[in-house]
Amino acid sequence: MNSFVKKIVSVLAVATCSTFASVDAEMEGMEVVSRDDGTFLIGSPTFYFDRALGAGGIHSESELWTPRKLRYRLLFNRMSVLPSWDPIETPSMWMKTGNELGDLIYQDFITDKDDRPVNRTPILELGVRTPLFHGFWGTFRLFQDDHYTFRSAYTYRNNWVDDKFAFFGENLPMFSSAYGGFGFTNDFINASVLAGMEYIWIFTESSRWFPVRYKPRIETRAEVGNFSATLVYENAEYQNKRKKESGERLEVNGSIVYDCCKNHEQNIMQLSTGLMFRVVDDEGDVYTGLKSNRVVWPFLEMHSRPMNRLKFDVTFGINNRDWLVQDSVEYGIPIFNKMNITLGAKNIAGTRLNPIADTYEYFDGDTISLTAKGHMNLLQGFVRIDDTLSNFLGFGIRGSFWAEQGAETFETKEFVKDGIYTLRHGNVARINSWIKGVTGEFRLNLWYKELLKFTALAGFERIDGDEKRFEVNPSEFFVAFNADWLIKKSFRISHSLRYRSDAEWNLRSVDPLVVKGDWYWDATFEQRFPKYGISLAGTIIQALGKEVVETPNGEYSRVRFFCTAKKAF
Amino acid sequence: MKKLISILTFGLISFLHAEDPLQFRNDSLAVKNDISFSHLSVFLEGGEIYPMGDLMDAVESSLYGGIGVRYTYWENVDGIVMFQYTYIKPKTDIYYDGVYQFMGRVGADWKWPLIHPVVLGAGFTCSWTRADAEQFYYEKRGGTLTDNETEFGWYARISLPVFKYKKFSAGFHVLWEQLWTLPKRSNMLYAGITLERSLW
Repeated sequence: MNSFVKKIVSVLAVATCSTFASVDAEMEGMEVVSRDDGTFLIGSPTFYFDRALGAGGIHSESELWTPRKLRYRLLFNRMSVLPSWDPIETPSMWMKTGNELGDLIYQDFITDKDDRPVNRTPILELGVRTPLFHGFWGTFRLFQDDHYTFRSAYTYRNNWVDDKFAFFGENLPMFSSAYGGFGFTNDFINASVLAGMEYIWIFTESSRWFPVRYKPRIETRAEVGNFSATLVYENAEYQNKRKKESGERLEVNGSIVYDCCKNHEQNIMQLSTGLMFRVVDDEGDVYTGLKSNRVVWPFLEMHSRPMNRLKFDVTFGINNRDWLVQDSVEYGIPIFNKMNITLGAKNIAGTRLNPIADTYEYFDGDTISLTAKGHMNLLQGFVRIDDTLSNFLGFGIRGSFWAEQGAETFETKEFVKDGIYTLRHGNVARINSWIKGVTGEFRLNLWYKELLKFTALAGFERIDGDEKRFEVNPSEFFVAFNADWLIKKSFRISHSLRYRSDAEWNLRSVDPLVVKGDWYWDATFEQRFPKYGISLAGTIIQALGKEVVETPNGEYSRVRFFCTAKKAF
Repeated sequence: MKKLISILTFGLISFLHAEDPLQFRNDSLAVKNDISFSHLSVFLEGGEIYPMGDLMDAVESSLYGGIGVRYTYWENVDGIVMFQYTYIKPKTDIYYDGVYQFMGRVGADWKWPLIHPVVLGAGFTCSWTRADAEQFYYEKRGGTLTDNETEFGWYARISLPVFKYKKFSAGFHVLWEQLWTLPKRSNMLYAGITLERSLW
């Protein structure tokens, strides 16, 4: 290994330690709940604001389309991992169940009715993935998350639907999903067909939650050679029992990608090109709309490393309505034996952060435009220092400056009350003045063999701009202490203690909603049985912190505990 | 150093590519050192449950019984899984006679080498409850239990398996349990006897 590669690998090593502790997520896609290295505000499993400190700009990550998210779910105008239709790859069976803490049990005998805490709600997941049989495999998964459901909004949502709107229980969970199917995998082909049914509550720009039942949803995937393709058919049913409305959307969407240099990571240049599309046919009362009922989004992705120390990444997409370019450049400068300095710059520019999303929302006779004239431009420059001080200690520093013009926001024309909710009329708009930010992050890593990986993180960010027009004023600083213990290769304790400062929602209510800063503690305890491929784990999430509503019209983020059992075949 | 770098680099790659959560089964050293289930025994146990704190005003003491499995986890540590049942009678004026309660526990027992045969254990517990009622009056006190209610918690336990005869052992145990209920946490103390038979 030459010295420069050594340094790069050392940096990777430090970066590995810097990732958050491996506290289990309650559902695939809910990892954001255990993050506070920025602003992560959860309103439900199907809606959250997720912005890492130092990411630049004022948007959240899930608002931005990237080729990495081709198989994410599009929930209104956000790209979401959850509810994930990525088949679990390990041949195994698994079960997960848990509950928000705070049911009464025998406290009910000594508690007045008026003093009863609000009902606490569970999660459930069951699944299986068979071993290969001549290349064929089957899978089934049922999962729903009833957390974030039981404020008085339950009554409100109950007025929308005419049944329990879930596979299990009567909590009206924010999503309930089940699918099954089969696939074929060998050295040349990886293909699958999954079919299922799903209940999802979608959150929109008007701040409404509305229910969508996918009946059925069918997803096919294929990876053959350098091609990767996805084709999805959805029959989405809409309803509003209170207003006696019903509608239906038939949608076909998918993507195809050609990767010219797959499995050739040493190439100076890697190029891939692809196309994503959606075609919809709406009938009756459907609460969102897509211009021309279709969108086709061709894109190009390029990774280039002309020199060992220099790296370029470019993604570019364009169609008849929008264009979006995301690029970055990094240059590594070796300083001392184990220290590396990286200088970099990043740019995001485009007419829309998510060009494949719907273009209209229909709300009480009003049409909310989800697109804005003009374009946004985000520029960021950063410097990163990584140093592996010894074989058990390392640190990293990252500082950045960013500036954004034309940031997407919402121009509120009017607020209206609907039950406990505040809703808004208006249109997506832009902040055409410059917003500037400066960030600093510090990381300290400590590790000892496999036994311990410890990380301390701290960060601050100062933003100047037309802050009253930001959807969210991000948190200004955070600290986090994370540790993964692995004892005798068979018992894991992962835990994370964090603080983040206040964040503020400006545009979804008459008075801003301030989400107070707080400390949080999450932990996973896992018994492993390597010989038998069994894992038994218990996880506690959101302990310590005060239980609060983190998004407008969202639900309480409560302390919860869940246990998971997995067995590999 | 190379090994460390490899491990850490692998860790990063795993992080970026959604690590297989059961990857540890492919670690040959971990598999070789895994002595889990090398001994396994089943046990019956029974005793009395005493409410603590606020619960002393809410419910009466009650009898409980259950079964369990104990298996080798590490050399001096056993894994333990228990299922128990009790019928809890209210102390206050509740419109039904009692509540069926099933408990499931998963934890570990440590055989204290200094003071034989003291075994110290701890773990997580889950209680499932349902009122012994035919009428559903949610508004009344105790009404929430007419629907199924479940709550998690943790426990600590001390066991004294003082009698041993061939594959059998018997002894006493005391267990403290806290359920994470609201408006206050619920504490109970269990005391009883255990009869255990080793299967292998």
